[in-house]
Amino acid sequence: MAAEPTREWSDEQLKSDDLPKKDVIKFLQDNAAHSFLNEHKLLGNIKNVAKTAKKEQLVIAYNQLFESKRFKGTDPVEDVTELVKAVKIEEKPKEVKAEAVDEGPPKYTKAVLKKGDKTNFPKKGDPVSCWYTGTLEDGTVFDTNIPTAAKKKKQAKPLSFKVGMGKVIRGWDEALLTMSKGETARLEIEPEWAYGKKGLPESKIPPNAKLIFEVELVSVD
Amino acid sequence: MALEQFSDVVQKCEALPNDSYTSDDHNVFTIAGRTCIEEGNSPQVLSIVLDEKNQNIVRSMGWNLLPPLIQVLLEKEDKNLPQCLSIFNHLLEVCKSAQLTCRPKELLIGLLEQVEHDDPDRIAESLHLLLNPLQKVLLCLGSRKASSLGMTLSSVLDQLAKLPVPVTKEQEEDDVFSLCRCCTDLIQFVRPFVQEARLNQSSGNQLEKSHKTASGQDEGAEDELRTELLKFCMKTLSQPLLDVQIRDPDTLPLSPLRTFASEILDILGAVGESLPSLLFHPLLKRKEVPGFLEEEVRYPKNSLASLAHLVFVHHLAADTFPSVFSPLFCLRSNMEHISILLSRPEDSRLQKGLELYEKSMVRVEDGSLPADLLEIKTFLTVPQDLVKVMTVCPKHDLRTKGLKVFQLSIDKFHTEAKYRFFQYMLRTSNHSGVEGYVIKNIKNQIDAALQPGNSNIWFEGAHLLPLLRKVFSLPDGPETDLLQNLDRVMESLNLLRYLVIRDKVTENQTGIWTELYKIEDTFMKPLRVGLNMSRAHYERELQGTMENKKKKTKDKSVLSVSVGGDELPKMTSESQIQALHSALHTFDMIENLTNKTVGRRERGADVRQRSTGPGLEPGTAASRTTASAQGRALNPNTNSAAPDLWIFYINVNNITLSSTDQSSQ
Repeated sequence: MAAEPTREWSDEQLKSDDLPKKDVIKFLQDNAAHSFLNEHKLLGNIKNVAKTAKKEQLVIAYNQLFESKRFKGTDPVEDVTELVKAVKIEEKPKEVKAEAVDEGPPKYTKAVLKKGDKTNFPKKGDPVSCWYTGTLEDGTVFDTNIPTAAKKKKQAKPLSFKVGMGKVIRGWDEALLTMSKGETARLEIEPEWAYGKKGLPESKIPPNAKLIFEVELVSVD
Repeated sequence: MALEQFSDVVQKCEALPNDSYTSDDHNVFTIAGRTCIEEGNSPQVLSIVLDEKNQNIVRSMGWNLLPPLIQVLLEKEDKNLPQCLSIFNHLLEVCKSAQLTCRPKELLIGLLEQVEHDDPDRIAESLHLLLNPLQKVLLCLGSRKASSLGMTLSSVLDQLAKLPVPVTKEQEEDDVFSLCRCCTDLIQFVRPFVQEARLNQSSGNQLEKSHKTASGQDEGAEDELRTELLKFCMKTLSQPLLDVQIRDPDTLPLSPLRTFASEILDILGAVGESLPSLLFHPLLKRKEVPGFLEEEVRYPKNSLASLAHLVFVHHLAADTFPSVFSPLFCLRSNMEHISILLSRPEDSRLQKGLELYEKSMVRVEDGSLPADLLEIKTFLTVPQDLVKVMTVCPKHDLRTKGLKVFQLSIDKFHTEAKYRFFQYMLRTSNHSGVEGYVIKNIKNQIDAALQPGNSNIWFEGAHLLPLLRKVFSLPDGPETDLLQNLDRVMESLNLLRYLVIRDKVTENQTGIWTELYKIEDTFMKPLRVGLNMSRAHYERELQGTMENKKKKTKDKSVLSVSVGGDELPKMTSESQIQALHSALHTFDMIENLTNKTVGRRERGADVRQRSTGPGLEPGTAASRTTASAQGRALNPNTNSAAPDLWIFYINVNNITLSSTDQSSQ
């Protein structure tokens, strides 16, 4: 505990016009307990306090301080906690990214049916070609690019596109990046990473449909 | 005379061994034969042609009689019509599998000359007659057929373009001008060529690169054939397919036009064009195609746009189009096509553009389109095109649909994207109605943001203020034409009112309370000045008109409006002024309300006094002001405190605004 501050000014000195209010306020702010200053409305910028407080009030406060001996460090702990509670923390609004920040687990599963070369994995933006067959959970085939008729086999081409660029449903983009050239895999894709709530009615995909694809990654350029 | 010549040459040639006819024989046959037919001796020609022993010559040279025959057949009035028809059919029969040695190119040209007409009836008839023989001649050209096929298809399509297009379902069924029949005939016509191209495709894939040089010529011919068929498809996609409305199977189970469209898509596949490649063309890099057609010509934008519409709106290729593309990617690609479709004022194109836009938007989730899409040019130009449709298009249905699609697109944007989009539209649309509509959307977004748990940084706090500044502004300050900008100003005031009621001073989530004094300066003050100026001006006008009425002098207005030659009756001055007073009165109301809300009572008295004018009950303003402070009286239909407070339709006949329940407050 610091030693008690000494009384600098006498009453006459205090009341005199020679002693500026600011000096008294400064003394009080430096030496009085927080709760004391609060009660006497002496908190804040000295200039502002000087505007609002009259000299008489300051004299009274000065005298009361020495009478009550409520110097700095004499406030009970609880008072301080009250004050801490009253403190407002201004939080700046966090920048929210447009895409979901927390992605959670991947919404598809992959089962390898035929291993690939395990060397040529596509990167985002690479052109890839695939043969595929897509079925619903009940087994209905809704799409395939594998020709059934022998005649057409010579004409058909695998589907080509740039992977990882959002051109295809998310399940495909994510899965293909994990596949290597020559690999055939069975993908089960949750609707969130397929056609979601809307489905694709013209292609016989109902809303909230889980899609199953058998995909062969033919080439990676 | 001619008949004798004809008969003689036939006899002479039949006697010759091994078809060794001279070109002289040829000419005599052709000319004599033609003359006979023209002179009406068809029955005799028919009997010669049908005669068993003349079949060799008929097979070799008979086809040269086709052009004159067709001329007769098109006349339809010739008494020898049935005989000509018989000759015609016999010749087609006989020459079915024959190798035409006699100048097929010439014959082709002769036939093509018969195709050209101006009269729609003749066009349809001649196409119907000619497509079959044309096909046979072309098939005889062997590997050299591609360019001739191209020439033929080009002529045929030019003629087809002259036929009127059915608009309604009934018109398609009736097919009065035979466009549908011609389309069906056309598909029949191209079938063997498509088949050939398809076979070339499958054998072509087997060729190794090393073989290409050896069979280079064949490759060239095959490529040519493919190219001609591609040209054909592209052309039809534009004309007639871009101009017709395809009906879905529920509406019209048997639709020749829909069948035609499906066939065209099928042909594209047969010539090796993949639909995804074509449709995602601008976004997927296409390989350089060496050939004699440049990209732009090979894949005309109009045709691709038409194709997009057929695939995504009518689902014509649903069986073959891959179901793996993400809806967002499809939307991005389709914006290019939508832009093309909305760029011309024809109804059919606008309709297609709106449909494609709607279909593409519906597939994406609400609030999912990210803001960076707005960096793509078409995402800004298409809404501008929509604004044109909404505001300027003469067809009411299209305007309504335009607005519906506009709102749909807003709903699909993510919050930040909505924010940027509103900024953009306020800056560029230059139309009070559109601006008003956007401001209403802003209000809805703020309302959503203020719901518990929905807080976002775009429609609250720091970001909202710049947007609000744009909203609370007058384009020309106090000189702004208030009537012209009515929609915008009303919605702005509506929004302001909403903000001061909804956002408590102590919370100030939207930041409106700190901005209010600025808004007063930059918006409310000039608005009041403008109001006073307008009011003074119109009061003077009213005086003048009333005086003129007394003097019974004619209305000397400089402007007159006529529609279709009929001059519209001039709006009477009283109506004009009544309408204006309604507007001004409404402004007064809002002003009063805003003042009251903000607590600026000092101006209240002034405005209240002035708001009584001719035709209005004095004192109504005052009573309504108090009533409206609760925010309910103006719209007696509002049940909740929800801030959609009033309906602004300035109804010329109804000066006293809405409200029957003045008693409520």
